[in-house]
Amino acid sequence: MSDSNAIPILNRLSARDSITRAAELSKISGSDEVGSRSAHRAVMLLGSRGAGKTELLRQCFDNAFGASGDTVPFYYAFGHSFAGPLSLARDYFSQALAQFIAFRRSEPKLVDIADEPLAVIARGAASEDYLHVRSVIDSFTRAWDSGDAALIGRSAISAPPTLAAPVGLRSLVMIDNAHLISDSELRSEFLRRLAGNPRAIDVPARYVFTGRQRELIRLIGIEQRLLDSLEIIHIEQVSEDQLKPLLLRQAESLEIETNDSTIELMLEQLGGDPFYSRAIIDAAAARGSLKTFIEFQRLYAAELRGGRIGQYFDAMLDDAAPAPSSARAALEALQLIVEAESPVPIDTITGRIADHISDPEALLARMHSRELLDLTLGFASASPDPVLSDYVRVKYRKEISGAVTPIAGDELLSGKLKESYALMMSRYNRAIQSQLTELLIRFDSQNVPASLFDQESHERRYRGMSRVTVRRALDEEPERVRLPQIVLVNDAGSGKQPGVTWRLFAASGFEGGVYTDAHEVVWLVALINSKEPVDLESLGRIDQRIEQSLRAYAARQPAPQSIRWYISKEGFSAIADERLSSLRAYRSTFSHLDLIQDHLTKLALEVERRPATEFELVIPIEGEAELIAARTAEQIARAADFDTESINQIKTALIEACINAAEHGESPDGKIYQRFAIDEDKLIITVFNKGKTFGWAGGQSTPSVATQPAKGARGRGLQIIRALMDEVTFDRTDDGARLVMVKYLKRPGNQ
Amino acid sequence: MAVIGAGMMPAVRWLVCRLVRNAMNAAEIKSRLVENAAVIYPGIYLNQLRGESIESQCQELLAGGIRNIVINFEETELINSIGISILLGVIESVNHSRGTLVLSNLNASNRELFEMLGLMSHVEMLDTEEVALAKLSGRVETVM
Repeated sequence: MSDSNAIPILNRLSARDSITRAAELSKISGSDEVGSRSAHRAVMLLGSRGAGKTELLRQCFDNAFGASGDTVPFYYAFGHSFAGPLSLARDYFSQALAQFIAFRRSEPKLVDIADEPLAVIARGAASEDYLHVRSVIDSFTRAWDSGDAALIGRSAISAPPTLAAPVGLRSLVMIDNAHLISDSELRSEFLRRLAGNPRAIDVPARYVFTGRQRELIRLIGIEQRLLDSLEIIHIEQVSEDQLKPLLLRQAESLEIETNDSTIELMLEQLGGDPFYSRAIIDAAAARGSLKTFIEFQRLYAAELRGGRIGQYFDAMLDDAAPAPSSARAALEALQLIVEAESPVPIDTITGRIADHISDPEALLARMHSRELLDLTLGFASASPDPVLSDYVRVKYRKEISGAVTPIAGDELLSGKLKESYALMMSRYNRAIQSQLTELLIRFDSQNVPASLFDQESHERRYRGMSRVTVRRALDEEPERVRLPQIVLVNDAGSGKQPGVTWRLFAASGFEGGVYTDAHEVVWLVALINSKEPVDLESLGRIDQRIEQSLRAYAARQPAPQSIRWYISKEGFSAIADERLSSLRAYRSTFSHLDLIQDHLTKLALEVERRPATEFELVIPIEGEAELIAARTAEQIARAADFDTESINQIKTALIEACINAAEHGESPDGKIYQRFAIDEDKLIITVFNKGKTFGWAGGQSTPSVATQPAKGARGRGLQIIRALMDEVTFDRTDDGARLVMVKYLKRPGNQ
Repeated sequence: MAVIGAGMMPAVRWLVCRLVRNAMNAAEIKSRLVENAAVIYPGIYLNQLRGESIESQCQELLAGGIRNIVINFEETELINSIGISILLGVIESVNHSRGTLVLSNLNASNRELFEMLGLMSHVEMLDTEEVALAKLSGRVETVM
């Protein structure tokens, strides 16, 4: 359920400033689950710091409240502010009561009466609910009067479903900061409630809880019964595609002048975090401009020093290390890890901070649970949050190293400005690298126009043509490159020299989808970003790295076949192209990548578009069963208006395909499968089996069957099929092989 | 047309009986003797089984002194590559024995198939059995 027009009650952002995350909201509320509305459910919401879990719960509350349906929303955020478990239980109960009454009366403002005495809250109840509300209050009061902490906790925790169920409603209980339930009695009661009561029929309720994910996982880690029934929803950070327009909208509404480049730099530098971005936008409101890199970097430096971002980290650090000595130790540890830029042994850190604190391991564990750093077995590494790293540097410089404060200006600002261009370039490079790796992993034995792997040939054929014309012409291009099936892409290093940067990838897979040593292949791919066509000198440097990788692969037993593929933004100089050609290397440009991607997408769509009419036939490998297939094909082709000559050709080709499928003895089920699909202007016949080979390997014309009944017969078989059918492709499938033959209807203009 | 009967030469009678027996045991390959020539009918589908039957019949015909053979494809709807391979072997055997093999009554598809696989350069193809027999008969006369 999602309602972006819901009136903000708990949601701290207006609909205009919110990112609609309909799928996540629907999962949280359980609105898309069939049969869940009457059941007990416990859901844990996991996501890294800044993923927006709290806002999602608040939006979910507002949506359910606004819908006024059969679900009563309840939201509660645990905090540090309560002296003890009893006052916490009292607050929880009051909130449940106030939110129930507000929902029943459709009056959002009544949510705020939770701070009033219980009797006052009760007076707000709708008249039809009054007695029921009074009875729930009386029950809680009796527990309170008993002084039994467990009973009070139980009474409070059970309040939302206890209020909703008697009036025929389901409760959606959303608990934020669940990791802060420090009291053991209350925590036990909470976990018991999440797990449901196996001995009793539970009232319909959905419990959704979130908090710091590392602590939550520890909190429920030992509750086996809860783990069995717990549903986990992972919340990812909002994507840049969602965040960028939101930020532009916010800037516009605050009358801040900005532009795409600065917003993109901001997203890049802030790791795409909505909280940091919003803090910068708000800070920019006072200046009215966020147009240049320096304006952004000034705001950023100021935010880190004493703005909302700095205060946020101060609070986090204070939470993990409240005492001055432990705060210093925490900062020392963070500085060490951030500057190391690689995992640091925990012993090294504890040795460094042992002078300031008696239990350094405990401090590191607290910092880990707050995601200030990452602890693995024996090592600590920095949080992936780039803003936290900057905060640590600024804070350390200011409070520990005692650096002299500049008379004017800012050291961080100077450093960040220097990084800005490189950051934007790395952003661009990362985008193209990501495009390439996604493309490589889509390689799956497709046939792609060969000119896309030969810059010079592409230039010769298509120079001056529009992109649309080129796309069309590529379809007609007769020469093809058969791609391997790629199963693994590894980063093989990077390098740079003035004006040129490159990154290497090693893409491993199999030719023809045949999973044997002989068919193993590695594509070594160089992705080169340069302002000019790559010259021989740059190529030499790149080649040194490629040769290293090639030697490493050549040393393997058995060594896979290797292919070189160079992709340069601006292409290659004539002499560099000549050298690559002599190495039999593929040469492409960035624009070729787009065209390859388009081509693969087109092929995938063609596969997905199933023809309107399909028939399937399975014949045993025995006797003259292929005649049955031929007769079937004849009937189908006749129904599709093929002429007699074409029908005979189809039958003959099919006979050959069946013979090939039958001839090898490794088909485990002894069957040949055939699919006949009639499309608008063609008949597509797919013949497949379950076995290692299909008469010929990889579409070669040489016979590969173990038993050859007549010398050269299989070579003739393929020759016959290719001559009689219009298109023939041979593919591996996971458990066998497949031959696809296409015959077009002879129509005027379709010859 | 020859008829199996008492008036036939013993060798020919034996040969005809073998042909009939073979046809019954392996694939049903019909054949007949016409004076000094034999006509073989591969049936609707020339595959490995029928190809091997034709091959063995031709060997026996050649051994029995019959050098002129017509294979009539009038009823043959389909031919596969294994059948063609065996047929190439038969052509070679007949040529090796200084005999003559002629193919007749090929439909357009089968003719196209043979042309595509280059059989035309190894064997003569004529429109009908009659033309083939006449040609062989004339050829025999010329040779003799």
